[in-house]
Order: sequence, then C-alpha cells, then structure tokens
Amino acid sequence: MSTEQILRAYILENYLFSDDPADLNNDDSFLEQEILDSTGMMELIFFIEEHYAIAVDDEEMVPENLDSIDKLVRYIAGKKNAA
Amino acid sequence: MLLEDFLTSAGRHPDKTAVICDGSQHSYARLRQQLLRTAAWFRQRIDPGDRVALLLDNSADYITSYYAVWAAGGVVVGLNTALKDEDILALLQHCDAAVVVVDGGKNKRRSALADADIAVLLTGSTQLSPGPGETSLAGLEAPPSTQALYQGDPEDLASIIYTSGTTGEPKGVMLSHDNLAQNVKAIQRYLEINGDDRVMCVLPFYYSYGNSVLHTHISCGACLVLENSLMYPHRVLKQMQELKVTGFYGVPSTYYLLLARTRLDSVDLSGLRYCAQAGGPMNGAKIEQWLACLPATAFVVMYGQTEASARLTWLPPARREDKPGSVGIAIDGMELCIMDARGHRLPPGNQGEVCVRGTSTMSGYWRDETATATVLRDGWLHTGDLGYLDEEDFLFLVGRSREMIKTGAHRVSPREIEETVAEVEGVVDVAVIGVDDDILGQVIKACVIADPGDATLEKAILRRCRQRLATYKIPKIIEFLGEFPRTASGKIQKHRLK
Repeated sequence: MSTEQILRAYILENYLFSDDPADLNNDDSFLEQEILDSTGMMELIFFIEEHYAIAVDDEEMVPENLDSIDKLVRYIAGKKNAA
Repeated sequence: MLLEDFLTSAGRHPDKTAVICDGSQHSYARLRQQLLRTAAWFRQRIDPGDRVALLLDNSADYITSYYAVWAAGGVVVGLNTALKDEDILALLQHCDAAVVVVDGGKNKRRSALADADIAVLLTGSTQLSPGPGETSLAGLEAPPSTQALYQGDPEDLASIIYTSGTTGEPKGVMLSHDNLAQNVKAIQRYLEINGDDRVMCVLPFYYSYGNSVLHTHISCGACLVLENSLMYPHRVLKQMQELKVTGFYGVPSTYYLLLARTRLDSVDLSGLRYCAQAGGPMNGAKIEQWLACLPATAFVVMYGQTEASARLTWLPPARREDKPGSVGIAIDGMELCIMDARGHRLPPGNQGEVCVRGTSTMSGYWRDETATATVLRDGWLHTGDLGYLDEEDFLFLVGRSREMIKTGAHRVSPREIEETVAEVEGVVDVAVIGVDDDILGQVIKACVIADPGDATLEKAILRRCRQRLATYKIPKIIEFLGEFPRTASGKIQKHRLK
C-alpha cells in the first residue's frame, strides 16, 4: 500500500468510522473539517512515528505538514528522503 | 459594570492592543468602534432582555458582538461551536433567541440556520454575500455613538451559559451583570491582573471558564492572545514566547498535552507571571513537572462552576505545598460550606456536598424551575461536588455526587451518548461511563450488551455517534459485555464497569 492509502485507511477507520473512500478528500483540512481534535492529532503523530519509524520534531508539528492527507504524504516523503 | 469598564479602558488606552488572533492585532479603539456599530444594529432588532446567540470561535468579533449585545440591552448566549446543527437549533429554540451571530465562512452552518426563523448576523470577510435573513457585520454603517447605550440594572439577566444536564436536557445557567462583574473583580484581585498583562487563552469563550478569562482581561485593559486549537501545541508555546505572554489558563488536559507533546525547556517563557488551572482535579506530580520547567511562575489551582459565574475558590500559590490536593479558599464575595444529605452544615473534616452562596451565584436555570429548585435551596447553591473543609477553610474535593463525565475541557452527559448508542440496530443495552485517562482526565467508555454475531457493530456504533454527536462526545472505548452488574432493584452499578 502507498503512504496515501495507509493514511487514508487509518483516518477513515479511526476517526470517520467509514468504509466509503468518498468520505475523505486528500485535501480535507483535519482541523477545519473537524476530523481530528487535539488528542486525535496526538494519536496520528504516534501512528506515523511508529509506522514510518520517523520522529516528528516539535517544530514540524504545524498545519503545513500535518493538516491533510496530501500534506502528510509530502511531509513523510521528505522525512524519509532526509533520513 | 463590565461594559462600562471595557469602554473606560478603551477610552483611556485607545491604541493599546486588546486582542491578538490569527496574526492580527486589534486595538481597544478598533474594538470599541466595532462594538458601537454592532450595537446600533442590535438596537433596531432586539428589545431589552432578548437573547442573542453567539456561534463563533474565539475572536475579536466574539468580543465586540458580546459587548454590543449588552450595549443594546440584550442577553448573551454563547453556544458551543463544536455541537452538531441539530443541537444548535434545539438550543436556539430553547432560549428563544432573536438573533444569532455566525462566522460567515461557515457555509454549512449558515445553511442549517436558514431554515430557522431567526435573524442571522455574519462576521468575517467583506466579500460575503448575505442570503435571506442574513446581514453582514462588515457591511454595517451605523454611526458610532455612546449616547444610546442601554442603561440597565445590575440584577438584569446578562448571559445564559448552557451546560449539559445529567439527564441530557440542556440547562441554561442564568447570570446577571452583577454576578459576572463581582466574579471578575474577585479574580482580578487574587491573580493581580492589570492592564500590563498579556495572556494566552486556549479556552473557548462559550464555556464559563473561557468567558471569565475574556472579561477579567478585557475589562481592565489587558491583552488577550487567542488560539482556538491545541492541535499544534508547539505553535502555542512559540507564540507565548514571541509575544512575551504573562499569564496562561488551562484545564488539566491542556497542561498534560503540553507536557506530553512539547519541550517546555525549549522556549523562553521568563515573562510568564502565572499559570492558572481549573476544570477538575489536576495530578499533583504533573503540576510539579510543569513547575520544574517554569520555576519562576506561580501556579494557581482554582475551582469553579458555571452556576457560580465561574470561580468559587483559589489556592494561593504560597499554600500549595502545605495544602496539597486542596482547591483553596473561597474567593471574595462567596461563602462555602459542607452539607449532609439532610441539608445540615457539617464541621471541618467531615465529608459532604459542597454548597456555596454569594454575589456570583446564578438566579436559576432558564425556564426550568424544577432543575433550579434541585440545586438552589435555602439560599445555597448545591454544587453536586463532594468534599470537606479543613480547620482553615481550605476546600478538598473528593468526588462528584452527580453523574457527569469530564473529558478535556468538556462536561458530557452519559445519557445523551447512551440514547445515541441505543438507537443502533443490534444494541440491547448500553451504559456510558468516564474512565481515567492520562491526558484528558477522563475518556468516554460505552459498555454494550448486543445481539450475538454482529462483527460490524462497533463500527456501526461509532459511525452513528459521529453522525449525531459532537466529536468530543464520541466514545474512545467500546466494550461488549454479556450482562451489567446491577443492584437488587435493577439499577446498573456503573462504578463496577470502570
């Protein structure tokens, strides 16, 4: 599975409780669409740290990196390339 | 009262920054101007005593709309923006609101309100296209004037703040101008809040705690830095550093989240004069952990209730070490006592229900005499909290006599969630409880008895909850059980489900 597919499945399963891919667009803002709250974001960070064996630094915890599927995919690709 | 205090501050220091939000700074003069324009519009649409609902995140618009309602003689009803549309419509109907103020950028919310028979005032961009029944705040051109400000009585109803009742029915706490003003003055005294303060507020204004943070600072010419989400906690700390914030307010989960997901020692918060905590008991070890990073900052433990305007007690930081676990002494204007089940006052050291009376006590619940009579008896507000006073009148809380879940900054009625879960096909019975959590204080757990053989039931329950309930009310844990422990009379023993 691609990073996009893994992340979509995780959000749909754990926060939207849905099997319907149409319930989540890749550019949906997790904050604006109220998909995640502050603890949901913490859980998401734990998930990507564990699944991709990366460390999300404090400075990287910003909406530009984490607020949608598209942004997460770009952020994780950048972290893997930098490793 | 508080409106006059705000206008006095604005008159004395027009160029001072009152609010910093989303990268914009708003001076007191700008807030005052906006307040007067908005008030002029309200005066054409409401009569004194009419309710005006605010359905806005924390913002300068929230503050100016709030005081504008008062300037027109109205009653402010701050509504929880996280609620679903059906809940919002029910509350608007419950308080019989004449006007609702909404963020113009929230199109879905605007559509939901279009069917309600209510005037809508939109905040936000000047580019908005108001629909039928809508007016854009940005388009108002009423001439600013202080001449026609409504002159009311301190005992007039100023605000209704909704709390979840234990039955799931909304309870609107009625607070007068005097209730709020007296509470604000007491808080300003013990926290020594003054016009030089600049505080970070991450608490929503629609709850009592956030509402008191708003008034305690804006009424004395201080500056509020607003952040509507803790999703990016490091960003909050960076802002506090850059803006040299002097005060910070949170519930226990605010502090737990910051401790878990940020490095406090990576930011310079040397300007931080105090951190204040209310909203339920905070783990003493976590307070020490927080103070180890910020040794020069005073940590003020507080206790309050919406029914008492906000604050009831505070623990002077100097007494924190010799009174561990205490929520402190009564604030100015309030008196505490402990009562037994028959309403008799108990001596120090004896456990009972915490009761209070004084200048900040509500007059009752909006149009609910039965609920009012349950908590306001013989001049005392019965808080539903259990505790005891020591020989020096320091209060120690030991639990709650009413069944509510405290998760993060929210209070949630188990009944509402039980009703939603029970609607799902395959659910035979359900009991919802709060279980301890390191970050949120409590998380919601649904214990379910179900028809056998449905492997998809858990997801169906969660999906229904997401459709029907605000995000913070969705259970974090679902446990399927064969039966519930019950008393001889058949009542579920919820304490045994934890």
